[in-house]
Amino acid sequence: MKNIVTIARNTFRETIRDRILYVILAFAVLFILSTIFFGSISLGEDIKVIKDFGLAGIYLFSLIITVFLGGSLIYKEIEKRTLYILLSKPVSSLEVVVGKFLGLFVSIFLTIVIMTAIYLVVVAAKGGGFDSVSLLAILMQLFEVGVFISLMILFSTFATPLASTIYAVLILYIGHSLNLIVKYVNKNPSSFRPVVVAIYYILPNLEKFNLRNLVVHDVRVSGLSILYAFFYAILYSSILLILATWSLKKQDL
Amino acid sequence: MIKISKLYKNYGKEKIVKNISLSIKKGSVFGFLGPNGAGKTTTIKMLVGLSSPSSGKITINNKDPKDQITRERIGFMPEDPYFYDHLTGSELLKFCGDLFNIENDEEYHSYILENVGLFNARNKMINTYSKGMKQRLGIAQSLVNDPDYIFLDEPLDGLDPIGRAEIKKIILKLKKQKKTIFFNSHILADVNEICDEIGIIDKGDLIYSGSIRKFRGKKTLEEKFVEVVSANNL
Repeated sequence: MKNIVTIARNTFRETIRDRILYVILAFAVLFILSTIFFGSISLGEDIKVIKDFGLAGIYLFSLIITVFLGGSLIYKEIEKRTLYILLSKPVSSLEVVVGKFLGLFVSIFLTIVIMTAIYLVVVAAKGGGFDSVSLLAILMQLFEVGVFISLMILFSTFATPLASTIYAVLILYIGHSLNLIVKYVNKNPSSFRPVVVAIYYILPNLEKFNLRNLVVHDVRVSGLSILYAFFYAILYSSILLILATWSLKKQDL
Repeated sequence: MIKISKLYKNYGKEKIVKNISLSIKKGSVFGFLGPNGAGKTTTIKMLVGLSSPSSGKITINNKDPKDQITRERIGFMPEDPYFYDHLTGSELLKFCGDLFNIENDEEYHSYILENVGLFNARNKMINTYSKGMKQRLGIAQSLVNDPDYIFLDEPLDGLDPIGRAEIKKIILKLKKQKKTIFFNSHILADVNEICDEIGIIDKGDLIYSGSIRKFRGKKTLEEKFVEVVSANNL
């Protein structure tokens, strides 16, 4: 556990000392502030538009930060051979992978907290009060970010940062479309159905984490679905991190 | 004691290391020599547990290099070391020290940094370090756990004469402290001064192991090395 914390602390320090984080964060803040303008040009739906764009902005920018920081997380260690320094010490591959995950997760969590604080101020300033319900949607986004970071870490054990990003974004896209795809196949049965169903169960169903529309339109969200999403994220991320460890171990450095 | 017996390493069909057997006494300095691509780095990576042998056995103090207990007692400096650019020299030592099951002693870190001549640069970011400074930091990080066995991969490579002299001084100091040092090199003049024994590897084959004096006879180490390696290539 001590090694995981040490590696996580180092990864956290590495990410918060990376200028790209602040550049993206600055754009994210600008985007959230610009929702005031988008709200003002809507016809009496200021708050809804601000919430809609604001939550989407927090989601989008947290993913962009993950892509920039996570894509090269392990790959860089292998390429620059800093992994030699780690693995020649009493450190296991699992400790490296989990430490990297936690370090990046804490960094992204902090950026999400900053974006959320600005979002809440904007909503409150426009008369929407304290938007506590949106916090649920952001919490679910955080679960999704956990799965996304695990995906990026898995890919970065064997692929270049660019390839990792492409694979992860593809899975992100498919993961959000799975429900639609399955619905379509169920309505129009074809010989591909078993393949689609298999993909449905193998790839992460990321729509489980999407509460943004429900929150914006004031639809009640059950606590059970949040709990379910939480355990789903934990389970899926754990499987991905175990695969990443296996992939790292398999490499002959 | 470091014991290597019948060590093989294959990458696909290519045999990189072939049937190496060696014994390195505790407290001695062993120079592992060979031309580029001979299999020196592959061997040292197996010795520190970064890579697994295709067959054969390595023991350090009668234990496998991948054992937790062994790793607590070894130090390793990779070839042309690269570190985390976002850290300072002293932050790197603190980070490395935290990875061992020991009390992280700042005073000891300062002592190491002073010994490798980096004390004044300890608070500078590593990305501002020169190649020589990085080599010295590589040695420093390999010493954070006060190891009994130190493995150095080309510690003298690419350094100017002053840098080489400094690194040699560090190795000789470690030798006085009765540390067992295994290092790869192709800079023969320095090996002559530092090592008790040498091993010569060429194309994966160990073509000599034993004392330097016995190996070179009346010739210089370089002359004899060229002669033996050339004969192996005939």
